[in-house]
Amino acid sequence: MTGVPGVYTGAANAIAAVMLLLEFGMLRQALARDQVRLYAVQSALISVLAVVIAADRNLPDLYALAALSAALKVVAVPLVLRRLLPGSVVVSEEPPGVAGSHTLSPASAVLATIALAAFGFFAVGSLHMGGPGAPALALAIAAAMVFVAFGLMIIRKDVASQAIGFFSLENGISLAALVVAAGLPLIFETAFLFDLLVAVVVFGMLIRAHHGRADSLSTADLTRLRG
Amino acid sequence: MSAALPIPVIQLLQVLTVALGAPAVTGVIATVEARLQGRRGPRVLQPYYDLAKLCRKEALAPSGATAFFLAAPLIAVAAYLTIPLLIPVLTSYGLPLGYMGDILGGGFLLSLASFVVAVAALETGSPYAQLGSSRAKTFSAITEPVVLFVVFTVALLTGTDLPYALAATVRSSAGQVIRPAHLLASAALFMVILHETGRIPVETHTGTNEFGMIEEARSFEHSGPYLALLKWGSMLKQMILFTILSDVFLVPWGLASTQRLGSVLLAIVALLAKACAVGVVVAVIDNSFAKLRLFKITEYASAAFLLAVLGVFTLYLGGG
Repeated sequence: MTGVPGVYTGAANAIAAVMLLLEFGMLRQALARDQVRLYAVQSALISVLAVVIAADRNLPDLYALAALSAALKVVAVPLVLRRLLPGSVVVSEEPPGVAGSHTLSPASAVLATIALAAFGFFAVGSLHMGGPGAPALALAIAAAMVFVAFGLMIIRKDVASQAIGFFSLENGISLAALVVAAGLPLIFETAFLFDLLVAVVVFGMLIRAHHGRADSLSTADLTRLRG
Repeated sequence: MSAALPIPVIQLLQVLTVALGAPAVTGVIATVEARLQGRRGPRVLQPYYDLAKLCRKEALAPSGATAFFLAAPLIAVAAYLTIPLLIPVLTSYGLPLGYMGDILGGGFLLSLASFVVAVAALETGSPYAQLGSSRAKTFSAITEPVVLFVVFTVALLTGTDLPYALAATVRSSAGQVIRPAHLLASAALFMVILHETGRIPVETHTGTNEFGMIEEARSFEHSGPYLALLKWGSMLKQMILFTILSDVFLVPWGLASTQRLGSVLLAIVALLAKACAVGVVVAVIDNSFAKLRLFKITEYASAAFLLAVLGVFTLYLGGG
C-alpha cells in the first residue's frame, strides 16, 4: 500500500469517517429528536476537524470559524429545530409521522446507501483531486456524505427527516470546503453559516405548515390530490 | 530469573494461557455483570468449579446418537486449542507454528468447531438443540461478510493476512492506529465479537429463553464431561476472540519481544488483564442495551457491515 498518512491527516480522515457514520445513524434513527441529536454531534465533529486543520496548517482564522460553527450548528440550529418541530413544546413528545417513515427496511436501506456512498467515494476518487493540503480521503468522504444525505431524504418519507437530511448535506459540503479550501476568508464562511440559519427557519415554517394541514409529518399525505 | 525459554515452551505456554485463563476471564465477566445488576455474583473462580463438577458427572447420549455425538465436543475443543498457535498471544515475534495458518485459517478452525457442534445437535433429534444450531448457522452466515471485509482491510493494510503482521503494523506508528481503515475494521470486528460471544443483539448469553436462545441451546443434550468440554469450548472461543481483538487490533503492546522468562510472564499477565478489560467493556455494553427481537439481527449485522465496507473503501483512495 501507499505510505502511512501522518497523525494529523489520519485524525482528519477518522473524524470525517465518523461524520459519515453519523449520517448513516440519522438514516436509521427512528425518532426526530435523536436525529437532531446526531446532527448536533456531527456538527460538533466538523468544528473539531476545523481545530485539527487549524493546528496542522497554522491557520488562526479557522479557530474562530470552529467556534462560530459550533455555536450555530451545535447549539442554535438544533435548538431552533426542536422548537419548530410540532408537538415538541412538551419535550418528551415525538412529532407524529416520523417513526416508521422508512420506505425500505433498515437493513436494505443501509445496503442501498452503502452503494450510494461507494459511488460518491469512487467518483471523487477517480478525479485525483487530493494534494498535500487536501487529503483525498476526507474529500471523498464528504462526497459520500452528500450522497448518503440525498439517500436519507429519498428513503425517509417524512418532512422532519428530509429537513435534517438537507442540513447534514450542508455539513458534508462544509467538510469538503474545509478540506479543499481551508484558507477561505472568514467572511465567506460566516455568510454560509447564516444562510444555513435562514434555511432552518424556512424549513421549520414548512414543517409547521405541513403539520397544520395534515396533522402528521409524513409526506405520504401529499400524494393525494384532494385533501 | 531471566533465563531464555526455548521456543517450543513459549508456543506451549500460548495454548496453556488461553486454555487455563479462559474460565477466569469468564468468571470476571460474570462477577462484573452481577455487580452491574446489583447482585453479589459468583466468585471469580466459579467456572473452574463448574467444569470440575461436570467432569465428575455421568455422561449420557440420546438413543440413536452415533459416536460423532460424543466426539464433537472433543473436536471442537481441539480446534479451539489450535488457534492460539496461530495468533500472537504472548510474543510479538512470530513463532514457528504461527505461520501454519493466516487469519482465514483461524476463521476456518472457529467455523469447524461450530460446525461439528451443530452436526452433533442434529444427531440428537432434540428440537431445542437443533433450533440453537440452526440459528447459529444462519446468523453466522449473516456476519460472515463482515469478517471477510475485516480480513480484506487487514490484507490491504499489511499486504498479507497474517495476524502477526497486522499487530506489528499497528505497533509501528501512531499514524497506523488513528487511520480510519484500522479504526473501522476494529469497530466492525468488535461488533462481530459481541454477536459471536452471545452478548448483543438478541441473546442473553446464559439465558434459556427460546426467543433469544442460540449458543446455550446447542449443548442441551450433552451431559457430564462432554458438556464440560462444550462449556469450556465456548469460554475458549470468547478468550480467543478477545485475544485477537486486543493483541492484533486494539492494543498489541505488552507482548514479549524476547524469549526471556520475565518478559513472557509479564506478557501472560498483560494478556489476562487485557482480556478482562475487554470483558468488562463487553459486560457493560451487554447490560446497558436492550436486546433486539430475533429478526432484527440483520439491522445489527448491516451496521457492522457498513463499518467494515467503509474501512475497505477508505483504503482504496490511498492513505486511508
